[in-house]
Amino acid sequence: MTGAACALMRVIWTFEHTPPSWWSEARQWLAMADFLRFRFLFEQMIRRELRQKYQGSALGLAWYVVNPLVLMGAYYLMFGVVFDVASEDDYPLFLMVGLVVWMFFSQSLLGAAPSLLDQGSLIRKARFPRETIPAAVVSVQMVTFCAVLALVGIVTVAFRGTASLALGLLPLVLAATYAFTLGLALAVSVLHAYFRDVAPILSAALLPWFFLSPIFFRPDRIIEEPAARFVLEWVNPVAPFIEAVRAILYSGVAPSLATLAYVVIAAAVALVAGRALFARLQGELAVVV
Amino acid sequence: MAAAAGEIVLKDATRAFSVRADRGGTLKELLLGRRAAGPAPIRALDGVSLSITPGETVGIVGRNGAGKSSTLRVLAGIIPLDAGRVEAGGNVVGLLELGAGFGRDFSGRENILLNGALHGLDKPAIEAVMDAIIDFSELGSFIDVPVKTYSSGMFVRLGFAIAAHLAADTLLIDEVLAVGDEAFQRKCEARIAAAVAGGVTLVLVSHDASLVERTCERVVVLDGGRVHFDGPAAEGMAFYHRSMGTPVGASA
Repeated sequence: MTGAACALMRVIWTFEHTPPSWWSEARQWLAMADFLRFRFLFEQMIRRELRQKYQGSALGLAWYVVNPLVLMGAYYLMFGVVFDVASEDDYPLFLMVGLVVWMFFSQSLLGAAPSLLDQGSLIRKARFPRETIPAAVVSVQMVTFCAVLALVGIVTVAFRGTASLALGLLPLVLAATYAFTLGLALAVSVLHAYFRDVAPILSAALLPWFFLSPIFFRPDRIIEEPAARFVLEWVNPVAPFIEAVRAILYSGVAPSLATLAYVVIAAAVALVAGRALFARLQGELAVVV
Repeated sequence: MAAAAGEIVLKDATRAFSVRADRGGTLKELLLGRRAAGPAPIRALDGVSLSITPGETVGIVGRNGAGKSSTLRVLAGIIPLDAGRVEAGGNVVGLLELGAGFGRDFSGRENILLNGALHGLDKPAIEAVMDAIIDFSELGSFIDVPVKTYSSGMFVRLGFAIAAHLAADTLLIDEVLAVGDEAFQRKCEARIAAAVAGGVTLVLVSHDASLVERTCERVVVLDGGRVHFDGPAAEGMAFYHRSMGTPVGASA
């Protein structure tokens, strides 16, 4: 698992080592150079993150996969069997694909928010790029996400016969999901270090957000009014990510161009804004944590 | 701008700390656009100027709260200044707290990797000094045991052993040597002396007067965030003892 997380970052770093020129300028601006120097630190942080969570438990790292699967089973029981709101074919698969994306998003933010405070002793005493801390949290979640998505995806594609060329778009969508979440996680973590209300607000907000996201339903199936549909489909920034993954795995078609464009742009905006905010606020971290 | 390796320049450095529990301020205050009343910020550094040339050995002494540790943390680049300028050239290694950032569930060996990584080393660089670190720490077979089972002395020995092998141009040491047993303290001092002989700049914060006299040729006495004395060690320590012996002000 550690290996996979590191491999993921290696791909990104390789890109940075042989970059197009606009990228090296952008990188300068984003102060990625510091990040590069500390890439081994990043590996170590991931290792630490993985180890500390489930150290000493019998299943160990398997908990990362077991928890989401149990949760998915519970939601299926609730909405697929007890209330039986199923309006889609193969409803469990419909639900699970969306749920996996949401869980990556929410778990990453919930994990990242207190991460800088948790590592306060480190921040107060050593100098290193602080973004490695929330980034390690998100990367660990990303690996879990990929593992669970692989399970769910294989079952979905096999069961529904949705293997298609659209699968080629999945890496792009996943990379965008990662970047989008990482950007928000950077912002949330540094804001929480200054304002301790951020994590409680976040966890309160995530619950209604969860039910408003198109996980259990398709917006066009439950609502007629165009304005409300637009809100559910586009104003909620997570919705296009869910829609894109679901189009590829569950429906076996490529996401609409609008969805793809939205996903890529939202990822870029979130990452740039998150990094900028983090860079602006990180100076005082050793004092406030 | 760029200071030479091992050179330190501190110019009119000023830094205040809020002494409130919620240092960053709450969201409520941000939204209301005002700060609730509370104790005024403390000036930990109040116009400190220091110029340290490569290879110099400087002891910083002063009463509790004089700004010694804040000075080191500023030099280590951990906290920024409110005003003034700080430059520290080359590889600055801070021993501000031995074993800071150790993962308690990790073995000593894994913590060496983690700690080296914190200082920006990559894996081959750390593995090159791995055996030397293990050797120096005298941990023997304990090196493969999680550090949460270590005694505090073992913890500190490992922490120092790592920091001692990081190829520093400047060593910043904050009162961390007092923990190991006497034999290990001597070993640490010898190691520091060897580093100094090799041209490393040393900035040492300590309340141990004899340690300062043994290791430092120059002494800076801080009080209330200001430099009260800066000069040769013997005079500096005499000044320090004098100032500590006399009850200075009613606030002391």
